[in-house]
Amino acid sequence: MHYQMGNSGSYPLLLLLWLLPLAGAIVIWAFGPQLKRLAGALGSAVVGASFVATLLSWHDGTQSVAGAGANLVGAHQALVSWLPGFDFGLLLDPLSLLWVCIITGVGFLIHVYSIGYMYDDKAFARFFAFLNFFVFAMLTLVLSDNFVGLLVGWGLVGLASYFLIGFWFEKPSAVAAARKAFVINVAGDVGIMFAIFMIVASVHSIAFGDVFGNVGSLSTPWLLAICICLFIGAAAKSAQVPLHTWLPDAMEGPTPVSALIHAATMVTAGVYLVARCAPLWSQNADAQLLVGIIGGITALAGAILGCAQWDIKRILAYSTMSQIGYMIMGVGVGAYEGGVAHFFTHAFFKAQLFLGSGLIIHALANEQDVRRMGGLMKKLPFAFVAMLVGVLAICGIPGFSGSFSKDAVIYGTLQHGHPILYAIGILTAGLTAYYMFRLLFVTFFGSYRGDVDPSDLGIRHPELAGTAHAAHDDHHGEHHAPAWLMNVPVGILIVPSIFAGWLLFGGEHSPWAQFFAQQFPHPTLPTPAISELTTTLIVLACVAVGIGVAYARYATAAAQADAVERLRGESVRMPALLTNAFYFDAALDLLFVRTSQLFGTIFGRLIDPQIIDGAVRETAFSAQWLGTLVRSFQTGLVRAYAFVLVIGVACFLVYYAVISGGLH
Amino acid sequence: MLVLSLVLVPIVAGFVLLVLRNENPVMSRTVGALVAAFTFGAAIAAHGQEWSYRWLTRPFVASFHIGDTAISYWLVLLLAICTFCAILAASVPRQRAFVGQMLLLEGAMMGLFLARDLLLFALFWDLMLLPVFFVLLGWGEHVATAWRYFIYNFAGGLFLLLATAAFGALYGSTDVIGRSDVHLAGAWVPWIFWGFAVAFLVKTPVWPLHTWMPLTYSDTPSPMVAVVSAVQSKGGLYGFIAIGMAFMPEYVKAYAPILIVLGVISLLYGAFVAVTQNDAKRVVAYSSLSHLGLIVVALASLNATALQGALIYMIAHGLFSAALFLVLGFVESREETRSLVRLGGIGATNPRLAGALCIAALAALGLPGLAGFVGELIILTGIFQAGLTWAAILALIPIVLASAYMLRLFQGIMNGPQVPDLPVRRDLGWLEGLALAPLVLALVVLGVNPHALTTFDTGAYNAVATTLQGGTR
Repeated sequence: MHYQMGNSGSYPLLLLLWLLPLAGAIVIWAFGPQLKRLAGALGSAVVGASFVATLLSWHDGTQSVAGAGANLVGAHQALVSWLPGFDFGLLLDPLSLLWVCIITGVGFLIHVYSIGYMYDDKAFARFFAFLNFFVFAMLTLVLSDNFVGLLVGWGLVGLASYFLIGFWFEKPSAVAAARKAFVINVAGDVGIMFAIFMIVASVHSIAFGDVFGNVGSLSTPWLLAICICLFIGAAAKSAQVPLHTWLPDAMEGPTPVSALIHAATMVTAGVYLVARCAPLWSQNADAQLLVGIIGGITALAGAILGCAQWDIKRILAYSTMSQIGYMIMGVGVGAYEGGVAHFFTHAFFKAQLFLGSGLIIHALANEQDVRRMGGLMKKLPFAFVAMLVGVLAICGIPGFSGSFSKDAVIYGTLQHGHPILYAIGILTAGLTAYYMFRLLFVTFFGSYRGDVDPSDLGIRHPELAGTAHAAHDDHHGEHHAPAWLMNVPVGILIVPSIFAGWLLFGGEHSPWAQFFAQQFPHPTLPTPAISELTTTLIVLACVAVGIGVAYARYATAAAQADAVERLRGESVRMPALLTNAFYFDAALDLLFVRTSQLFGTIFGRLIDPQIIDGAVRETAFSAQWLGTLVRSFQTGLVRAYAFVLVIGVACFLVYYAVISGGLH
Repeated sequence: MLVLSLVLVPIVAGFVLLVLRNENPVMSRTVGALVAAFTFGAAIAAHGQEWSYRWLTRPFVASFHIGDTAISYWLVLLLAICTFCAILAASVPRQRAFVGQMLLLEGAMMGLFLARDLLLFALFWDLMLLPVFFVLLGWGEHVATAWRYFIYNFAGGLFLLLATAAFGALYGSTDVIGRSDVHLAGAWVPWIFWGFAVAFLVKTPVWPLHTWMPLTYSDTPSPMVAVVSAVQSKGGLYGFIAIGMAFMPEYVKAYAPILIVLGVISLLYGAFVAVTQNDAKRVVAYSSLSHLGLIVVALASLNATALQGALIYMIAHGLFSAALFLVLGFVESREETRSLVRLGGIGATNPRLAGALCIAALAALGLPGLAGFVGELIILTGIFQAGLTWAAILALIPIVLASAYMLRLFQGIMNGPQVPDLPVRRDLGWLEGLALAPLVLALVVLGVNPHALTTFDTGAYNAVATTLQGGTR
């Protein structure tokens, strides 16, 4: 049975906001050398225009019309059809509208910032072509009205991510990181593909509406299998354990890329997928539990590993992993509004943290190791303010955006009956406060350590770090772009980093709850033993402990006095389990990479030349006979022709004769 | 008559080029490209036309019967496009003779796909081996490879001829391709089926009959191997649809498990080997084993959706494997090596060449938005619908491996630090770009909207699809 989602019609603005970034990418890619620096302005302009078109489409996306049997929310625009059941279209409803706003809005700010950050890069135009392409791909992902369209966007954002992680493609580490990210994400794509096979086999349609409408006709194990397969895709894209290992490596890409793709938008695609498929998950408690558990594990693992990093971008990468763990945990257990809200606030404060760290990296000639920073508060006051707001927001200090969304997720786990996840959420909040303030204290407090010998700071491979920086130096010359290009976007982001969470204020009557009133299922839940206010207080207590430990270790006068000694001691004593990130990389490498190579070597070096060809040689053609044949016909092409014709004709005649004889 | 010219014009032009004395490479390239372009236009104009001349009446009826069917129409267009692109891209010693061989190859394969008579099909099957054989001998002196290619495929051709003769004897006529009222029955049919099947399995190729293929694909000059891998390999698959499924559906069904197992082995085996190869052309060769194995599974799954996907994927594989081999040819002609160990960092000085290889590699690894993805997805959906859950699961592994080996290929050549002792050459020229443009354009258009390939339901295809849906007729 066919179910409609959104009001079908013609929405030129929707098409425009979707296709503008693609047009930008094509124009910049084709005319990059001619455009020069204009490429940045053009790339930013199309994303800005796309954002304006999104705001103008607000009414279309939130309209609610009573349709056949149900309320139709949002706008639906039909596109093309492959086969019966394989119809493609765009769907703008509150959920996709939220994502589109972040993709184009935050995307626009990061584009502008990139003009400054990439100003001296020799491949300036290529960068903006890829960045625009990414925006188009991400819009495809969230605007598709069906699973295959989503998968197309899913694959294309993976491609954009590949291009941008490996943007400095002369650097072997960047090339390897790009390939790793792509291959792991294809493994995730394959999960979604298999879910699509099951969906098509049972529902005979790929449209979200048809699948969600017919969810009642699916058997429980079948539904669970679909959810698990979809979640494999979500886990790969959103860096959930154990498919997270590509995300820290992805920091090889330029910092604006980390902010846009690997923090604000692409890595949250898994959250979008689970939220979009809420009608599937809410019908299957096992699937919800699985997603909730993986999210919780990821939140905790990311936070623990975040405590052990020294590279400013890798700290932020693990914190992104951890925060997405929160989101996944939220949408997994069924606290959809809370999980999605954390995506919304995280997009602002994490983009701001990355862009702020970009200001530091840019100012320090591409230094990324926090041990070689210190005392930057006076040198980079604006970066300090930006980072401070971001840190306060991510830690969930009351009033800042993160507090509202994080508490909503943590309380949501309890509401939906998962006390262990609730405890993990609170513990992770404390760890988050510790490692984020550690970042802040080590970077901005004390005195500058950039002139200290790296080995005194416990940096193991200074020469390795040195070459990486030299490679970067090629890309950043002496001339810098006007400072406002980078500062203004960061400044603008401060506003939502503080205030975006207030949209959640007011519980069921908040603007947020109103916005999603028709989007998500709202089961009636028992009131938990611990109230929301108590939860907030417990979280705050943990956060205070985290900040206190970080302060004691890095910010007291005594700690600052012998900072070099302490940092060296901490680096040297760091447990191997943490420096090797729980050995996930080694395990994946052994299980999949080495095994594939072993199979390939056995097949290619042994079976092909020895066993198959050996058998062929033994049975069909003795080597000697072949050799004679070759020698005798090598002398002239005419003889070869003759050979072919004679054999062919002879065979035909023989069988002609045999058959004629047989018939008469 | 126009349909006859599709076969005759390339063959005549090819022979003329072979006997000419004018060694101007521009002339031969222009003539070749014009002939290929003509065949493309004529194939569209002659769609649905037939031309027939009675050949034999005893012991069975055979005709020189030429005309496209709903499926071969697309393969003929693919052949014309690939030949056009390959000739534009060809830059080899003795250009005139090479282009002549390319045209002979095109003519013979046109005959294969347009043949409406089994005997004619078998004749062109053997004829299309010769240009490749001579090019292997004449350009690079790969004698062992040439013989291996020839003996394997000619042996297959003999089985085909035997099966054809037996078919004629049993049915009384070989003028049957494209007819939906022909149905073979009797004790001899399994033998006939396997006669055809062996020829098709060698040609495709399918494990363990594939060992001629990596050598042939790496030793044949790139423009020709582009056509061979793109189109010649489809001869066997086309034969399965147009002959096996059309005339002997019960036997296809009976032996489907064997074909499915061989197909699954091929698709896994090829992918694993491709991951470890260091010769760029061999990576693509083994990837072909993997991709075509998937099509064999699709055909043997006897599912209408999988069959539609198989047709899309046959065209898509033709387009991207031609593009891949052409670009690798450009790389090899510049750097004089195809070793992924030797090569590296070329992208920094050759951005357009890098872009071309990137698009071809992405199409091959099944990037959504390009034609290969559509084919893969629809095939696998069909295989899963047919109840072959295990095959669908195993077929997902090569998709992940494909991303690994295709990126290894691309990055190994284009990315990383520049290799000091590799010569720095000029970037992709306009003619080379023009040679790739039709392939890339077709990959994008069919990837976004494969409508044209999924909506036709006439003639032989319809008959096959109804047969399959009904199980047996």
